[in-house]
Amino acid sequence: MPERARNLLWLIAPLVALVVVIVGLWPTDQATADPEARAYNLAVRLKCPICAGESLAGSQTDLAKNLRLRIDEEIAAGSTDDEIVAMFVANYGEQVLLDPPRSGWGIALWAVPLGIAVVGGIAVYGLKRKERDTTEVRS
Amino acid sequence: MIAAVGFLAILVALISSGWLVFEGIRASQLTPADPRRLRIPAIGLAAGGVIAFLSLELAILTHDFTIAYVAKNTAIATPFVFLLAAGWAALEGSVVLWGLMLSVFTWLVWLGVKKGDGLGVLALAVMGAVAVFWFGLMATVANPFAICTEVGNGFCSATSWLPIGNAVAPADGIGPNPLLANHILMAVHPPLLYVGYVGFTVPFAFAISALVRSERSKVWLDRTHRWSLVAWIFLTAGILLGGWWSYEVLGWGGYWAWDPVENAALLPWIAGTAFIHSAIVQRRRSMLQAWNFVLVIITFALTIFGTFLTRSGVVASVHAFSLSAVGPALLIFLGVILFGSLGLFAMRASTVASSPRLESLVSREGFILVNSLLMTLFGFTIIFGTMYPLLVEAFTGREVSVGRPFFDRVAVPIAFLVLLAIGTGATAPWRVETGRVLWQRTRVGLNAGFVAAAIAVLLGVRSVSIVAVIGLAGFVIGNIVAFYVHQTSRSHRGGKPWPSALFATVRNDMGYWGGQISHIGITLAVVAIATTSVLAIRTEVPLAVGETAIVDDYCVEYLEPFSRVEPERNVFGARVAVLDRTCSDVRAVLEPRLHEYTKFGQVIATPSVWTTWVDDVYLNVAATNEDGIRLKVLVFPLQWLLWVGGFVIVAGGVLALGRKPRKRTPTSNDGDKRKHADA
Repeated sequence: MPERARNLLWLIAPLVALVVVIVGLWPTDQATADPEARAYNLAVRLKCPICAGESLAGSQTDLAKNLRLRIDEEIAAGSTDDEIVAMFVANYGEQVLLDPPRSGWGIALWAVPLGIAVVGGIAVYGLKRKERDTTEVRS
Repeated sequence: MIAAVGFLAILVALISSGWLVFEGIRASQLTPADPRRLRIPAIGLAAGGVIAFLSLELAILTHDFTIAYVAKNTAIATPFVFLLAAGWAALEGSVVLWGLMLSVFTWLVWLGVKKGDGLGVLALAVMGAVAVFWFGLMATVANPFAICTEVGNGFCSATSWLPIGNAVAPADGIGPNPLLANHILMAVHPPLLYVGYVGFTVPFAFAISALVRSERSKVWLDRTHRWSLVAWIFLTAGILLGGWWSYEVLGWGGYWAWDPVENAALLPWIAGTAFIHSAIVQRRRSMLQAWNFVLVIITFALTIFGTFLTRSGVVASVHAFSLSAVGPALLIFLGVILFGSLGLFAMRASTVASSPRLESLVSREGFILVNSLLMTLFGFTIIFGTMYPLLVEAFTGREVSVGRPFFDRVAVPIAFLVLLAIGTGATAPWRVETGRVLWQRTRVGLNAGFVAAAIAVLLGVRSVSIVAVIGLAGFVIGNIVAFYVHQTSRSHRGGKPWPSALFATVRNDMGYWGGQISHIGITLAVVAIATTSVLAIRTEVPLAVGETAIVDDYCVEYLEPFSRVEPERNVFGARVAVLDRTCSDVRAVLEPRLHEYTKFGQVIATPSVWTTWVDDVYLNVAATNEDGIRLKVLVFPLQWLLWVGGFVIVAGGVLALGRKPRKRTPTSNDGDKRKHADA
């Protein structure tokens, strides 16, 4: 068998598998997240106001327990995630957000690492480029 | 009496380390450099460090409450293991443990320095300088042997820094922080972390020595290769056991919360991992020397930064147990290290930098470089995120928090890219990988990855991220296994029978295959991290005695409450049966408990876990009331895989330690190329 044909054989299994994955994961109505998962995801995003660096989900304090119940109640009452978060910010200030909003100072939190990534990428590219130039001179 | 001996030992170690610096610098300038002149200070330092540590342990075990540290951190009723652990559980003791390791490591390095070895002699002087700081700390602001001079309310109410004079003892000590004396892992994991932290002092010292001497060679890397690897192994094990402790003790089912102090342990690990990899590139391809200097300096600085975060209390953290003058001292030391070593590096960079000879990014060194940069970016982002609240408060006065959601969002894409580069790069040849070789060495992994993803979907996994992680894991592991089979079958065709060919492949390059085992371990761990965070079930159910509740594929039944009195604590527990979904077949009986530490007025929930091949059932009593209990029921799929993956990472590191020394002649300088390049 010619090599090209043999290489194509290697692609059969991945292609079949890819079809299975796409069909299996084709988005259906997943939007109805269950309330407990929603409550946990909110509790992870919110800081326990009296704890040292623990989220509402992680803290064992009574306040955190009560606030977790509060989240459950709000969800049961039909509040959206954004409304619940806004309520916490109104009550405890911006520092309850473990994920600072991407506005104002919050931009720096994302912009600085991204800037470093870009500079690093350019540096590697430069290293590679420099090499190509020197080899050309040599040859 | 013990206090005086211990304090004297600290002074001996302090003087010896100063002597080591002075004499080390002088001896390194002689021709030939003479390490015999360092004999007395090296032995004095080690003896001081060992005796100081033993004195503290002896004082703790004999309940010598005249020593303030002993009275504060131990009590007569403290169990033996936690008595031992009290020797390093609190601030001053942790500095003593640090000093012990540093002094013994310095002595071990001294044993390996021969006559004429200027690099080693000067490295000893650098280690001496680091020891001056730690023992200076012990002799001043963090003296573990300060004595109690006044007792009020049964506590030690006044202390004297100098252990001379009339010491008085309270009738009993206060005892360790309940959170720290609740589980055996807490006694074990700090010393492991410390071996890791302190171990990186050795490559750092050799790097500084090489920079000062403008030595442009890889000798410093060759000589510290094992030290770095040992430090890395211990750091890895320490982080893992720390996560395990958190999982077993903290009661919310998590093993990692991106807490500043957890970050403090992870940062040197990230930098150290990048260093170990890029050191391979320099040793094989004579590239990246400048980058290696930077990485080892950063790694060492991060160990100090980590200690600073833990011990200064500048960032709010559940782990930051102490506030003291040690914080500013560590900060100054960190500043001296960063400015001193990076300044030295800047002066020498032009003389020590290796010429860039990266021929292609698609090569072993190319992928290592890419991952090295990704790790650096990741580490930087963690530092920035950890310090960000402090910076914003300093500049604007506003209080903000940065926590898990931010770090998760950064970690996930970086982890994907790192795994992709591992899967492609680990089996790539050095120098240049042609498209043809790239295809040959990744096609098995591609197949394995896609098939694994499809199997996951067929088994009912519907989360895109989980399927992607499983596919990626199949890719990485598939490529590594295929390469192993390929190498082995080559040596089988060369005349070796299968069993000995399988063995010989690994034995011929234990460094490489040890690394691949660690790569498989990290891949397994990433899969477990994904499944336990994305697919976890978390619920809280109210249960009266005899009631059942269905959670996921299980049924839990509250059998009965129980209580007992143990030394130092009252135990209230709930006996809970875990049954199958139909509530008919009892699979396990668990006993989640609440531990009430009366002396501290603290109640600590102690979860109970039942592990199966599929998942962990994790029970925790959230609250008790007259009707019964509120029981937290958490189910974590494939949780065991995280611990197994971690063990595999460590095992790979240990295997890599046994690498066969490569015998080389100057002309055949790429033995590896011959072995790996032609697939």
